[in-house]
Amino acid sequence: MKKLKKANKHQYWQLYAMMVLPLLYFIIFKYVPMFGNILAFRRYRPGMGPFGTEWVGLRYFKLFFKDAAFWTAFKNTLILSLLNLIINFPIPIIFALFLNEVRNRYFKKFVQTISYMPRFISTVVVIAIVSELLSPSTGILNIIRGKMGLDAIYYMNEPDYFRTIYVLLDTWQYTGWTAIIYLASITSISPDMYEAATIDGANRIQQIFYVTIPTILPTIMVMLILNIGRLLSLGFEKILLLYTPTNSQVSDILDTLVYRTGLANQNYSYATAIGLFTGIIGIILVTSSNSLSKKLTGQSIY
Amino acid sequence: MKTYKTRSTVLFDIIVNLFMIFTIISCLVPFIYIFALSLSSPEAIINNEVFFLPKGLNFEAYKSIFTYPNFFNAYKNTLIYTILGTLISLFLIVLFAYPLSKTYLKGNKVFMKIVVFSMFFTGGLIPNYLLISYLHLTNTRWAMLIPFAINPFNLILMINFFKSISNEIEEAALIDGLNYFGILWKIILPLSQAGLATVGLYTAVFFWNDWFNGLIYLKSSQFPVMLFLRNIVNGTSMVGDAAGAVDKATIGISIKGAVIIVTTLPIIAIYPFLQKYFVKGVMIGSVKG
Amino acid sequence: MKKLLFSFLAISLSLTSIIASGSKEVESSKESDGPIKVSMYYSDNATLPFKSDWLSINSAAEDSNLDIEWEIIPIADYSTKVSLALNTGTNAPDVILYQTTKGENANLALNGALVPISDYSDWTPNFNKMVEKFNMSEEVDQLQLKDGKRYYMPSLTDVPFYDGGLILREDLLDEYGLDAPKTFDDLYNVLKVFKENNPDSYPLTILAGPRVLYRMTMPSFGISVGKNSSSGTNTLSWDYTNKNYFEGAISEGYKEYITYFHKLYEEGLLDPEMAEPIDGDRWSQKLATGKSMASYAYYDQIGGLEAASNIEGYKLQMYPSLEGPAGAHHQPKSKTGSGIMFPIKTAQRDDFEQIVRAVDNMFFSEENSKAFCLGEEGVTYTTNSDGSITFTEKIVNAKEGIYKYLQLEYGCGSDVTQMVWVNQREMTKYDENYSAINKVVEDMGDVIQYIPPTPNFDDMQSEEAGMLQTPLSDTFERWNDAFLTGAKDINADWDEYVSTMKKLGIEKFCDLYNENL
Repeated sequence: MKKLKKANKHQYWQLYAMMVLPLLYFIIFKYVPMFGNILAFRRYRPGMGPFGTEWVGLRYFKLFFKDAAFWTAFKNTLILSLLNLIINFPIPIIFALFLNEVRNRYFKKFVQTISYMPRFISTVVVIAIVSELLSPSTGILNIIRGKMGLDAIYYMNEPDYFRTIYVLLDTWQYTGWTAIIYLASITSISPDMYEAATIDGANRIQQIFYVTIPTILPTIMVMLILNIGRLLSLGFEKILLLYTPTNSQVSDILDTLVYRTGLANQNYSYATAIGLFTGIIGIILVTSSNSLSKKLTGQSIY
Repeated sequence: MKTYKTRSTVLFDIIVNLFMIFTIISCLVPFIYIFALSLSSPEAIINNEVFFLPKGLNFEAYKSIFTYPNFFNAYKNTLIYTILGTLISLFLIVLFAYPLSKTYLKGNKVFMKIVVFSMFFTGGLIPNYLLISYLHLTNTRWAMLIPFAINPFNLILMINFFKSISNEIEEAALIDGLNYFGILWKIILPLSQAGLATVGLYTAVFFWNDWFNGLIYLKSSQFPVMLFLRNIVNGTSMVGDAAGAVDKATIGISIKGAVIIVTTLPIIAIYPFLQKYFVKGVMIGSVKG
Repeated sequence: MKKLLFSFLAISLSLTSIIASGSKEVESSKESDGPIKVSMYYSDNATLPFKSDWLSINSAAEDSNLDIEWEIIPIADYSTKVSLALNTGTNAPDVILYQTTKGENANLALNGALVPISDYSDWTPNFNKMVEKFNMSEEVDQLQLKDGKRYYMPSLTDVPFYDGGLILREDLLDEYGLDAPKTFDDLYNVLKVFKENNPDSYPLTILAGPRVLYRMTMPSFGISVGKNSSSGTNTLSWDYTNKNYFEGAISEGYKEYITYFHKLYEEGLLDPEMAEPIDGDRWSQKLATGKSMASYAYYDQIGGLEAASNIEGYKLQMYPSLEGPAGAHHQPKSKTGSGIMFPIKTAQRDDFEQIVRAVDNMFFSEENSKAFCLGEEGVTYTTNSDGSITFTEKIVNAKEGIYKYLQLEYGCGSDVTQMVWVNQREMTKYDENYSAINKVVEDMGDVIQYIPPTPNFDDMQSEEAGMLQTPLSDTFERWNDAFLTGAKDINADWDEYVSTMKKLGIEKFCDLYNENL
């Protein structure tokens, strides 16, 4: 193998040539606009140029660091994302593993197609359906409670239920969708490996643990690292729609805070500063989870 | 696949199948409900009589969206963006992902860092808008296609798929005198059907659902159909804090339902066709074995 | 696989040619002696989808020698599109409809993104004439920004309408032998009787969260706070006697207001479902099925419900504003509304003067502004010998009603394009009941107050105001909800609430507003 690599070194230019176009793309469309981030340190005045009018240093960072609402929002974002990660990261994997065990091919195909459908319903509609199900007067849950002699609960307005509702909605919307990646990965497992395992006397549950999971582990790790990196980005629109003054103590996240602050006076600089801050946190998270994963499992994205 | 029929495997089968049935029900019910609404009369809906079966069956809602002035044009636009956008995107992603899957290639780590970094920092709306204007892409359909051609997340997925393909085949091909372009085209791509199908699906769905870029960069005659959906489904309920006008406007639920069905069914229908690329990779197995 | 790739290639080639042909059509707009070509942003509402063959816009454009390239933008995203075009100055259209210079637009205007149209009043004779005719020069002057210039031509209304308010089941009033409520105490008694007879119901329901209820009822208590407050500040209110702002959110008026509605809430008279994602659909269901019998809403919404409900004898009626501690008032309304603005780029065109003159003629001339309301004589209506008008048979018998039918078929009565609203003329499009209610309200005097003036902030001040506003309004919303539902006690916790709001700078916020009037 080593020898071969050396022999083909003169062919490497082809690999670099392939990268030219995509790299140009990254530079032009991803990196050039990043200069816009200096707005976090400059005052933006509408209509007076895209990069602001004067330097204000760390003014906008100080503004939000000083703001109690920011820290509440930061805390809420963190709790909600962690909860979401802990619950909704493993579920698609389990779903994919289970689906792979369905023996009837047509049933399997059917479930697979159906399971990714919720991804396509617009958030507004999802929330409308949910609020109907949970309505204190007409919702089915409360009708059942009523039959049992219990008081109706206004779930959508209770801070205690907000996180559960959010996380479960994500489970419902994205399980089938995310599972596609794992299913595709499982596809690449050679049937021979299962046969070998069967000959060794492994039952189907053991096969999952000794064949399937180890083979798709690289995919799992890559997804985990990426998910940890994106920890601070939550479904903004969904939260905005679930947000009520009463549940705001748990539902106000960074995005909704920026949205409200921005809406009041279109404060682009403030929004940019918060965006920059979350970006830095994201980079730190992804770097550390990447190196941790490299140490523990040998898997990394770079 | 043969397995011993022990009691535990039977139990396992039952659990698995129950789990799947639960999934089907929870995923399908809202769609059936929306579908039933779209076919029901407004009177039945308003009196809360619709559940799973349409009541007062009629196709008025569908007729009325088809008479919206721009509906078909918008639909055509979306088809163009989705098909072309996915092709361009797959092309660029494959070109980048293949070399990046070669960990022995010098500079690989630097390139990967460039990719990962771009996932966390964006320029913000106004710089992006200015860039697109500067490149004279606004008011052309390219503004929908080019700026979002590579999603770093999909790129990393693709790299990972390429990595999982064994190096042996490739080395054999090199010895046979194929260059890297030839290997990518003739050997790697045919072996990466599952990966291409996954990334292609993710990309197609992105282009199908994207409305924001259409809104800001295009002329109204070039708008995608999702803006139309948004206008009907959200326009009367969401965010609109402008007092008055928005609260007054109501669109029949049946029309909303019909729009949702018409704009989501086609993209949902792609999946069964892609599914055949998820069949067990016999080829990979044959080489490895 | 190869076959698949090949067919993809073929498809993409043909698609590319479509794109190429699409981009060509833009260039064919070379100058000629024909009508003036202008591009125009239009805010499109899905309930009234724009049609390029609308009679109203086409006859007015033709009369003004304009060839308009319409940009039809969904209303939900209209402000985003406008904001980007103005902020970057690129790709702006020649004319933007349906905008004001409140909020961000004020800064954009002051920083030179918009044409100060008041400098060109010689070119807008029709607009000037209408302002004079309606005696509105004072209102129009109030739209000037800090530099004493006005940057848009607002829509003009001679007498604001009473287009929404308390809506009740009239058949139930009759059934239980009740009089129509005149005061908020009456309303309480009516709701109480409704509840007694229908214990499962929540008699008073709310539309779009509680915000429609709040903005329509608060003025009778002398305040207007919360989302959609008339001042747009969420926590300040306007004192109509002293003509200045005061801290509405912590005033006695508010305390009285929330005490009243807490009582309704506690006794199950007010629908507790306040989460906002629910739009008109659920609201209609509740009223149609008799789960609720009263609401604050708009007159337009009654007809559909009456036609749809299965309840026998179902009848809804709209009532004039109820008397509260501060008199009987409705949501304040401005006589000026969203209007027309020109991005600064338009002023660089050689034919700028012609454009302004043509736009002025298109939207504000006597004849065209009438056409935007009624359509065209001979096509949609005929004038009788006594000056009154009669709509054609087809329009009178339309099942959507005259007003809606004229909107959909002819583009008449669209907020976006109709710039001149004459109350009497508008009333011809509605049923007699509606005009009768409007007449009553008009005779009651100052039911509909004016919208408080917007202060003229510079960049720094508006940033400061924005920073103060968000936490104040968040805190207010939270406490308001708690007071309403009883999670906090209005009497016991009031002082804590007031001191919280003061700590957040509500007084400073108020001063900032008063100092910059």
